[in-house]
Amino acid sequence: MNDEKGPGPALAAAAIGVIVFLQIPVLVVMLAAFSKTAYLTIPPKGLTLHWFEVVLHDAEYLSAAWTSLWLAAGATAAALLLGLIAAYAIHRRMVPAAAALASLMMAPLILPSVVLGVALLQYYTLTGMRGNSLGLWLAHVVITVPYVVRASLSSLSSVDEALEDAARVLGADGFTSFRLITFPLVKPGLVAGGLFAFITSLDNVPVSVFLLSASQTTLPVKIFTSVEQGVDPSVAAVSTLLIVATGIVLLLAERWTGFHKHV
Amino acid sequence: MPALTLERLEKRYPGHTAAASVSLSINDGEFVSLVGPSGCGKTTVLRMVAGLIQPTSGRILIDGRDVTGLPANQRKIGLVFQSYALFPHMSVFDNVAFGLRRQGVEGRDLKQRVEEALAGVRLSGYVDRLPRQLSGGQQQRVAVARSIAPRPSILLFDEPLSNLDAALRDEMQIELKRLQRGVGITTLFVTHDQGEAMSMSDRVCVLADGVVQQFGTPEEIYHRPATGFVAGFIGRPNRLSGRLLRPAGQVALVQIENGPRLAVAAAEGIDDGAAVDVVVRQEDIRFAASHDTPGHAIDGRIALRSFIGSRVQYVVALGGIEVIAEAPTNGLHAGLDVGMAVRIAVAPEHVYVNAARALEAA
Amino acid sequence: MNNRRLPGLLLVSPLLLVLLLVFVAPVLLMAPLSLHEYLPGTGVSQQWTLANYTDIVTDEYFREVVLRTLALGFGVTAICLVLGYPLAYYIANAGPTMRLTLTMLVIFPMLLNLVVRSFGWIALLANRGLVNNLLIDVGLIERPIKMMFNLFGLLVGMSHIFLPFMVLMLVPAIQAIPKDVQAAAYTLAASRARVFWSVTLPMSAPGILSGSILVFVLTISALVTPRMLGGPTYKVMATLIYDDFLQTLDWPAGAAMSFVLTGLTLLVIGLSSRVLRRWGGTA
Repeated sequence: MNDEKGPGPALAAAAIGVIVFLQIPVLVVMLAAFSKTAYLTIPPKGLTLHWFEVVLHDAEYLSAAWTSLWLAAGATAAALLLGLIAAYAIHRRMVPAAAALASLMMAPLILPSVVLGVALLQYYTLTGMRGNSLGLWLAHVVITVPYVVRASLSSLSSVDEALEDAARVLGADGFTSFRLITFPLVKPGLVAGGLFAFITSLDNVPVSVFLLSASQTTLPVKIFTSVEQGVDPSVAAVSTLLIVATGIVLLLAERWTGFHKHV
Repeated sequence: MPALTLERLEKRYPGHTAAASVSLSINDGEFVSLVGPSGCGKTTVLRMVAGLIQPTSGRILIDGRDVTGLPANQRKIGLVFQSYALFPHMSVFDNVAFGLRRQGVEGRDLKQRVEEALAGVRLSGYVDRLPRQLSGGQQQRVAVARSIAPRPSILLFDEPLSNLDAALRDEMQIELKRLQRGVGITTLFVTHDQGEAMSMSDRVCVLADGVVQQFGTPEEIYHRPATGFVAGFIGRPNRLSGRLLRPAGQVALVQIENGPRLAVAAAEGIDDGAAVDVVVRQEDIRFAASHDTPGHAIDGRIALRSFIGSRVQYVVALGGIEVIAEAPTNGLHAGLDVGMAVRIAVAPEHVYVNAARALEAA
Repeated sequence: MNNRRLPGLLLVSPLLLVLLLVFVAPVLLMAPLSLHEYLPGTGVSQQWTLANYTDIVTDEYFREVVLRTLALGFGVTAICLVLGYPLAYYIANAGPTMRLTLTMLVIFPMLLNLVVRSFGWIALLANRGLVNNLLIDVGLIERPIKMMFNLFGLLVGMSHIFLPFMVLMLVPAIQAIPKDVQAAAYTLAASRARVFWSVTLPMSAPGILSGSILVFVLTISALVTPRMLGGPTYKVMATLIYDDFLQTLDWPAGAAMSFVLTGLTLLVIGLSSRVLRRWGGTA
């Protein structure tokens, strides 16, 4: 490092200020969840765990959470499988127009989610799949797979090509060399991609809201529609639980794979 | 039957030809170097032998069998990469064992073969290390052990010593040569360093622009270069231009442009008056003794002096041109001063002429 | 030759099939929908018409929604740049542990549910929200300030939501500026401010552009935050589409608006790619 002065104190203050700004709504939500009153004050007029109790006993919230988790897990698993093998074929130029294919696979990131949501609403209505779980799952695969493809392509290109060549010369066929050499080396990047995919699915409202049936809903959509009907601290309680869960997952993922290098 | 035969191997890409009709025959146990400047096609040839690239035309035969259509993993070849290509997530043991496991070797057998291979490169006891915990030289030796362990019929090296520093490189050259002799495996060694090729090989193949320039023993390549390229690539050359003269009844001469006239021993096939490329090696320029016949020696003046260590290098002005000459450090001519008048001479056998071409050695 | 292509095609086709069936086809099928007429009470007629598109330009209400969306886009992008650049600069120049901690603190809100974050802003900005209650308690105001259901609320909320994206795009761009170039500028006796304005800022321009494009596109496409902070009456293009499809059931109008929104997105991305390429594209 040079002797030159680092960023001055004014900059540090500005940076910290923005960081704090970023965390404020999160903190507010957690505050509201514990607050006795239905409106928020600082300092709060009393603390309680009442809203958590309400939420954890609410069958609708529990069912919505369950649906969200299953949907996210299923979509992520499918995205990981389909995305990785497609990325591998693109990376090794095993197909013509590899670059164009890669662009197509990332295209769902560019299309506004709401447009995809309404397009699928019309499409599924036409094909009789409206409200169908399969349709919802497929839609989530489409919105999560770009993250997997991007993470896969990036990880694959960081693996030295000579390694697979070496494996081949030593007698390994294509699949064996992928299994023993390439795959272990791209795993951290894949975990990052999978995490993004999972969270994208778990988070999603603009596509899900158009495709849900009367009997099922996902957690974010439920919160979204509840808020329209009036703010209730139980929403804050659910949100706090989500915040805590996300934090734990993030820490675990970082601990296991150091994936922050791949974000 | 030769261990490795390349028959008119060609590799053409749209826009340029990497290898043009390369034919070679390598005998069992021989150490052959493939040498040439960057981009000459030597790595392309090597990768075709390994099966990582498909030739556009031509054949590759190992022990007489045509393997041209075989994929890389079925050719029983060893390849040591320039970057070593050790599997970073595997221990030294697992790296060396990789090829053996593909062959179905396991258990005590496996352990024994791995230890044998590591002992051969003097790295016993490093089995549990990871590649990133090893120095460059150690990684390279693991790469060699890994390639040899499965007992391939041919061993290929792709510029393996380029990433090592000079001292380590010299040491490894000797060690690799000794290892190869000990195991007796047919070896094809690619390098851009002609000194390395000459010192390690039984025979040397010089490549330029995908075309074989010459294939012979180091002595043949050095003393009887077949083309102007080889003359200029091997040894330390002075490159000059001139015109060939064939005065009646006399030995052929070359008139160096703006320079002296030199006698030439070998000038077959070149017409009187033709433009020629001339190569005179720095080490072939002698400082004339006083009893040399005046006709053979050329007058000049020392323009620059550099002390290299094992030798002293001089830039000598000869009329309109300058040439680089050298003298052994402990010899008579080590102490010439800048500005001194000198007389130099070159034996006619050491004046290499070839019809002038656009071909340039790097 | 054929069986060399086969493995590649096998690997790519499952995903390709899914994308064609569940992505490309549905979007393409909206085109004819947007060109039909909608009759309230009867539904979508078979009549072909361009009215859905022309209305967007001629009808004052639609124009206002589109302009509001674009204004939001520019506003949020500008705020994110102003707030995000100092933070990104600080992170880029910080030591490894500080950088990791700060990056985590930037990423963490991003990973939280969007609905949750928007809800946080409601809790803050509502008439009976935290900010108003605090200001009233302290005595600075008597009646609550209206901070939701208007441009202000949306600007604040969405800047917060998309700020991490801007920061994460800027940090690598600033890190990529070779320290040598900045050091060279210092040795030429430039002040720190001078070095920043003439060297650092211009050289991070590709990152600034990429971050801005990302935030702009995300802002004009957003549904959740504008809906939650703007309510059912203060509409942007995405919430208008939402209402068209789920409330008024005027699917053709919604489809037309969807294509206009998509067109705007593609236009912005296309233009910026061209600019980036001309700049030698590091992003």
